[in-house]
Amino acid sequence: MEEEELQKAVLTYLRKKGFTKTELALQEEQQNRLPSHSDLPLSRLENSPGRYKNGYSKLRSWAHCSLDLYKHELLRVLYPVYIHCFMDLVAEGHMQDAREFFQNFREDHELMHLRDLQKLEGILSPSHLEEMELARSLRQNKVRIKICEYSYDLLLQYLQKTQSFSILGIVNERINFEVSPGQPISISDDAEVVALVGSSHDLAKHINQKEVRWGLLEDSVEERLEKGNSDSEKAEDENKEIEPEENKAITMIFFKTLKRSAGGGKQTAPSKKSKKDKLVAATGKNVRSETSTVAVAPRVKPELTLPVMPMEVEKMIINDLRNRVQLSSMALPSVCFYTFINSHNGLNCSAISQDGSFVVGGFSDSSLKVWDMSKIGQSATLGEDQSTFNEHLVGTEEGKSSCTVFHGHSGPIYSATFSPLGDFLLSSSSDSTIRLWSPKLNANLVCYKGHNYPVWDVQFSPFGHYFASSSHDRTARIWSMDRIQPLRIMAGHLSDVDCVQWHANCNYIATGSSDKTVRLWDVQTGECARIFIGHRSTILSLAMSPDGRFMASGDEDGAIMIWDLSSSRCISPLMGHNSCVWSLAFSREGSLLASGSADCTLKLWDVTSSVKGQKIEESKTSTTNRLRLLRALPTKSTPVYTLQFSRRNLLLAAGALSKC
Amino acid sequence: MSIVPKETIEVVAQSIGISNLSPEVSLALAPDVEYRLREIMQVEAIKCMRHSKRTVLTAEDVDSALSLRNVEPIYGFASTDPLRFKKAVGHKDLFYLDDRDLDFKEVIDSPLPKAPLETAVVAHWLAIEGVQPAIPENSPVEAIVSPSENKKSENTKEDGLLVDLKLPVKHVLSRELQLYFDKITELTVTRPESNLFKEALVSLAMDSGIHPLVPYFSYFIADEVARSLNDLPILFALMRVVRSLLQNPHIHIEPYLHQLMPSIITCVVAKRLGSRIADNHWELRDFSANLAASVCRRYGHVYHNLQSRLTKTLINAFLDPSKALTQHYGAIQGLAALGPSVIRLLVLPNLEPYLQLLEPEMQLEKQKNEMKRKEAWRVYGALQCATGKCLYERLKMMPTLLSPPKHGVWRINPRIAISRIKRKLSTNNSSQQPPFKKMAVDGPAGTIQAIATTTANLQGAEDGFSPQSSGAGTAQSSAPGQVSIDSIGSRREKGGSGAPKGSVVLAQAWKEDLDAGNLLSSLFQLFGEGILSFTQSPEKSFFL
Repeated sequence: MEEEELQKAVLTYLRKKGFTKTELALQEEQQNRLPSHSDLPLSRLENSPGRYKNGYSKLRSWAHCSLDLYKHELLRVLYPVYIHCFMDLVAEGHMQDAREFFQNFREDHELMHLRDLQKLEGILSPSHLEEMELARSLRQNKVRIKICEYSYDLLLQYLQKTQSFSILGIVNERINFEVSPGQPISISDDAEVVALVGSSHDLAKHINQKEVRWGLLEDSVEERLEKGNSDSEKAEDENKEIEPEENKAITMIFFKTLKRSAGGGKQTAPSKKSKKDKLVAATGKNVRSETSTVAVAPRVKPELTLPVMPMEVEKMIINDLRNRVQLSSMALPSVCFYTFINSHNGLNCSAISQDGSFVVGGFSDSSLKVWDMSKIGQSATLGEDQSTFNEHLVGTEEGKSSCTVFHGHSGPIYSATFSPLGDFLLSSSSDSTIRLWSPKLNANLVCYKGHNYPVWDVQFSPFGHYFASSSHDRTARIWSMDRIQPLRIMAGHLSDVDCVQWHANCNYIATGSSDKTVRLWDVQTGECARIFIGHRSTILSLAMSPDGRFMASGDEDGAIMIWDLSSSRCISPLMGHNSCVWSLAFSREGSLLASGSADCTLKLWDVTSSVKGQKIEESKTSTTNRLRLLRALPTKSTPVYTLQFSRRNLLLAAGALSKC
Repeated sequence: MSIVPKETIEVVAQSIGISNLSPEVSLALAPDVEYRLREIMQVEAIKCMRHSKRTVLTAEDVDSALSLRNVEPIYGFASTDPLRFKKAVGHKDLFYLDDRDLDFKEVIDSPLPKAPLETAVVAHWLAIEGVQPAIPENSPVEAIVSPSENKKSENTKEDGLLVDLKLPVKHVLSRELQLYFDKITELTVTRPESNLFKEALVSLAMDSGIHPLVPYFSYFIADEVARSLNDLPILFALMRVVRSLLQNPHIHIEPYLHQLMPSIITCVVAKRLGSRIADNHWELRDFSANLAASVCRRYGHVYHNLQSRLTKTLINAFLDPSKALTQHYGAIQGLAALGPSVIRLLVLPNLEPYLQLLEPEMQLEKQKNEMKRKEAWRVYGALQCATGKCLYERLKMMPTLLSPPKHGVWRINPRIAISRIKRKLSTNNSSQQPPFKKMAVDGPAGTIQAIATTTANLQGAEDGFSPQSSGAGTAQSSAPGQVSIDSIGSRREKGGSGAPKGSVVLAQAWKEDLDAGNLLSSLFQLFGEGILSFTQSPEKSFFL
């Protein structure tokens, strides 16, 4: 006010004195100064909490109105801007505005980032920002966004033109644009965008450049057979790690049996071979060349002899391999389903032995129960004439009698696994221990203590003796049965390690975590060899393809992803389940993937078509070829807890009947 | 600001004895309380829930989440079932647990609750080669179909296609058909001798509208045969029903043969058919054997393994010495009904050892049980008949080669021969009838010599059969063998001199003759003269 009066006074003084020119000059100057005056309220706005809301809503409407061609790229920018606006508001202490802002635009992102939003919603004070790991990692790391050149220019022009500096600041500070020349990338749901996770992308990129020797073991029976030009069925590496002389014995048996079969019908063997060749043709060539280049894989195995496989077991395995059903999209497997009845919501996990004769259930009352299915089968056939279904609901004496209860844990059991030969059983519990049991002796053999928090998952290696565990303490550990201390500790996940799985060649383990990443670890060095980013929620299940090339992972939202281990790329996301994917399993020759979910379905996917699809994609850069869903098998309100293909490719599944 | 109002904080503070909590503190605490709650509920408890493979959060999960954070769990909510919340009246988002006051006395007085059922594991086939069988253990069809309808998303169609189900077939039967079925089955079981049943059989064989009943009939037959093995009339009636069904040109019985065949075979080779000694189960066996053979002939081209399976079953019964003689009889009859080639391939090679086995059974000295002996003779007769038929077929091939030139020469009056044979046959057992008749009809013209030899042969035949009643041993002589060889020699001369045909034909004929001659001679050795009745008259003249 004072200033204006002063000006008026000056002007009247000038008029009085007759300095008309000076007066005009002054007025002109005043006119010129006006625009800069308008800066004042703007800058004031910039400092107020409202500027974020303002800037963001403008950016949002601008992005939505942009050309369709560039729209999806520009929309990608919105989410990081949104959460950082929110966090900036929180950091500045405008709690009320932060919450308002968050709720206003929440709907936009719920589809893609529901789980993150649920977590971020809880942030109510600047201290929470520090405490919550998700927020912290978001603040510390830059989001990487792939964007085409023109979209990038458009965005910058817009931000400068509208002079929304707060947004510009966020974009500069938090987003790392990877500008690519040419047309925008057509895939709207690029995995990179989805995975807005705490881990540094640069680090992931760096790690993923390491070489992964994903080939099968050179010493495997299969390879020996192939070298010997014998055209037998594909012997998978579950043929155990055998000492060389034993190995010879196996091949000898193979040759003998082959000779015998050749006497009967010579034409069968070549036809089988051609069939197999066709099957392998898609991946086979690559695999072979790779495996042949892989040097003798450095084993984790110390100079410890593995439990020597008895001759009968070997014979049994070979027999199984020879009798294996070849599965393909045309030949679907038979599924034997083990239903746990009257589990009273207490069943936490289950596992089936290789041959399907034993079923184990881990319960929340810390008991572990093993059923001998061969006995149940016998008694069931005896009483077949009676009305079977009533029997099932009531629970029969047969079921009771053949169950062995193992007590020892002091907390809910979260995972159980049979050794490949079925002679040992491991269970992991919330009491942070892992216990080794012998179903033959009906006794607890060892208690492995090492984890500090509940052990979520434990898995035997494909060759037995070694096992891996994953825990709430954010580590995965490798153990051998004869040491009570872990051999390796894999640390690096930013949240719980929820599941673990061995690679077919035993050189790697894969872990799935609540931080939405899957990591591959080198068993020998204990280092992270791959980070797979793409899931939008906790990873609950993992499976490795028998040829060692692919990995499947299933998450809480029902998405399944198939990864190429060497390129660390997601081949195709499989959408179909609408609830947690508890279990995944590749068929023994790797052509099918089975998934079991909490939505009470079991789905079968065609893997071979997806691999072909990937090749097409690579050559033609067409849209992603989704993995083909072959069959959905609904169960009777029974979520599928575990899945396993037997050596003969019979699919075994288990679940607890839940009364809805 | 926070979903936890500051009043709540104040209430909690008061409850633990802090009365003078300043409003600023409660205001500052409220957001932190919310944050901690979210941390426990949304992060940790959810984790525990996931690892317990559940999708519903329970109090137990919250407890384990609290223990993960080293916080004492909340007691008093121990239940594995999800909590049931009730909506507070008048409030939109307010829920509460219905926690009733329990009278202590009531709890004590009430009987002990039932022990929960033991957890058990049951196995079933969720899918067989990718197809779900419609069994009670699998999800019912409606449940599968309805969610895809409810979804109404773009992948609904896809889902619908992917679900591959074997539905149980719903069969609609008209009232008339049901009545018809009931009547027929009742007749079969209660009055198999009545005229009405005969009418019913005719109806079954002719009616064009009974196709929907075929599965029910086949089930009824299979069921009833298994149940009334002791009741011969019913079994016979059932087999007649089968025959009528097979005769009916309007029904498509192939899919049900697998159900019918076991019943038929049961009636052929069962150890005991009928309960009384007087029951003529032999007749039933013959009847069923012919039925089985006719099925094979008619549907052999549809089911390639039908005959092989049938012969396998029969030959197993035949060659198993532990089986009863009645079973052997049935097996032989069944094989015989399948045709001479089957006999040649399967029965003849085993004939000699079998007869050695059978012989002691037939002899009075060795087998005291008359029933058994009689049975043995039955078997013997059946065997003789079967091999004879085979021999007959074998020999029949020769006249086609050799008879034409001779036909005119020896043609005299066939009727005499036939009539004589017939007369003779009437004395013979009924089981031997078909081949004889066939011979009589099929046989080429007889000659005077033939008549002479036939009478001789028929006497021989009677000799052959006479042991059946007398129990005398079989006549084993070396002479007939020589005779037959001689006859071949003489025949060769005749062929050489008389036949105008080319030598190639003759050579072939001789070969055939030699085979047949050898067969005849060996059979003669085994059966004695009885077998000669199966040779054709002109041929016999050569052999003898």
